[in-house]
Amino acid sequence: MRRHLLSAARLSVSSTSSSPLAPTLALVLGAGIFLVDTLTPLDMAVAVLYVAVVMLLADRLSRPGILLVGAACIALTLISFLVTHHVPDDPEAALRALVSLSAIAVATVLSLRNRQSNESLRSQAALLDLTHDAVLVRNAEDIILYWNRGAEELYGWSAAEAVGRKTSELLQTTFPVSREAAQAQLLDEARWEGELRHTRKDGSHLVVSSRWSLRHDERGLPAAAMETNNDITARKRSEDALHRAHSELAHVTRVATLGQLTASIAHEVNQPLAAVVTNGEACLRWLRRPEPDVPEAVATVERMIANGRRASEVIARLRALARGDDPEHMPLHLDETVEEALMLMDWERTRNGVVLALDMPAGLPQVIGDKVQLQQVIINLVMNAVQAMEHSPAPRILTVRAGVEHGLAQAMVQLEVSDTGDGIAPEQLAKLFEPFHSTKPNGMGLGLSISRSIIEAHAGRIQAEPGVERGMTFLLALPAVKETTS
Amino acid sequence: MRQPAMVAIIDDDEQVRTATASLVRSLGLAASTFASAEDFLNSPRRPDAACVITDVQMPGMSGIELQEALRADGHRTPLIFITAFPEERVRRQAAAGGAIGFLAKPFDGTEMIACLDHALGGIA
Repeated sequence: MRRHLLSAARLSVSSTSSSPLAPTLALVLGAGIFLVDTLTPLDMAVAVLYVAVVMLLADRLSRPGILLVGAACIALTLISFLVTHHVPDDPEAALRALVSLSAIAVATVLSLRNRQSNESLRSQAALLDLTHDAVLVRNAEDIILYWNRGAEELYGWSAAEAVGRKTSELLQTTFPVSREAAQAQLLDEARWEGELRHTRKDGSHLVVSSRWSLRHDERGLPAAAMETNNDITARKRSEDALHRAHSELAHVTRVATLGQLTASIAHEVNQPLAAVVTNGEACLRWLRRPEPDVPEAVATVERMIANGRRASEVIARLRALARGDDPEHMPLHLDETVEEALMLMDWERTRNGVVLALDMPAGLPQVIGDKVQLQQVIINLVMNAVQAMEHSPAPRILTVRAGVEHGLAQAMVQLEVSDTGDGIAPEQLAKLFEPFHSTKPNGMGLGLSISRSIIEAHAGRIQAEPGVERGMTFLLALPAVKETTS
Repeated sequence: MRQPAMVAIIDDDEQVRTATASLVRSLGLAASTFASAEDFLNSPRRPDAACVITDVQMPGMSGIELQEALRADGHRTPLIFITAFPEERVRRQAAAGGAIGFLAKPFDGTEMIACLDHALGGIA
């Protein structure tokens, strides 16, 4: 099939270049051959030259037309023979006439057959024009050989304008990685698929889903590639809009969660400030002694500086959590991410009489992710756990544990968040991650649903299970970065 | 020479207790710090404490619970409470248990000194 398409491409190129003088030339040639054959006494098979007449007209005529020309040439040969050779027993002349007749017959049959395959190729090429996809064929030098109607409509260049140009120059292609990478994969696997950014004739941009297939020549060398492009600009745009809406929703719920943590956050900021003030008071007294105690005073000032820094770190962390930027994925240490998030909830947890059992083994592989979004998930799970234990008998234990799971495909970093609350009914378990489903009286029912989409956007998974003895366990797993950085 | 009176300082925040201890020592008093009420109750230095400065909200036993435990054992050790969340309900509970002071964090140094003065009978 691929071979046919490429032949069809070449055909459409060559058909535009055939000369309009061919019929006249054929007529003059035919007449000349007849006159020479009939009027000169040459002992040659002059009539063989009728083959040229048939060939000249073959491209122009329909199949009956070719047959008619062939028959006319045969008739003319016979007339010349009968006119010049009255003696039927001239065997040499008869043989020459027979050679000419056979040659004309063979040329006619070949032309007919060629005509037929050309017609079927043309109809196949016409089929390519029916598809809405833009189809183009380019050679090893990236020169366009074929350009279908879909391509004309999509890009605005006619086939005549596009054929002969370099694809990447004409369409100003932007590749996901690089042209070299795509080309290397095409040569390697004989196919390539991906999203490309192209520019139309009118200068507007579009995103296409592009599929390339490679054809090799007889010697096995890459000859030409067929490229099928599908306009996905609109789909891309709605995907982007969905993405934005999602990230805005995540931001809104994150800010709402921070609102619930106000008391805890105030405590986190107030503690270092209290230490600064008290150190300051102590410093004054060390200096106002009858004999000022400078080493003690210096120590208090050093502690003031350290606590001032500590307060500003808390603020920076809060500012990061409240920001509404697009997520930014980079390698990060899950243990640090978890510990920072837990710190913001220390007071909230303590106030509820919840004891933290933290188990973060050293040397965990890094994960790729957006720190703020992952902290949002952790804060959400911990808040749920703390609130679930509000009315539970002591000991109220919040377990946060990390580990590595060596899967078949790749290692995952696991995080477990468990509580010792009342747990939920088994039939609720399945609905837990559905939006607007809440087991809390004032819950919006968005926390877990957003947590799940955040984790899934990180190529991870999150699940809920009943706790070992009581309560609930949430398990989340994120793909580990392959090279562990020490 | 008389040993200076010892003040026990209980707070789960290390920076707050170090700063408070420095303030107490700057007054010429001795200070011992404890990360939790339980640590203090189980400490051999507990009988030496002439006064206790304690946080209210802590993991495990709270400051109010500590006061109750001390009173139940018949100890009259004066207590000064410091808290980031000075709620009226808690203040009344503290006062009912005989607390000398109930200060909001960050507390005023002069107020703290006045409380210590009161607790230790003019030693500071």
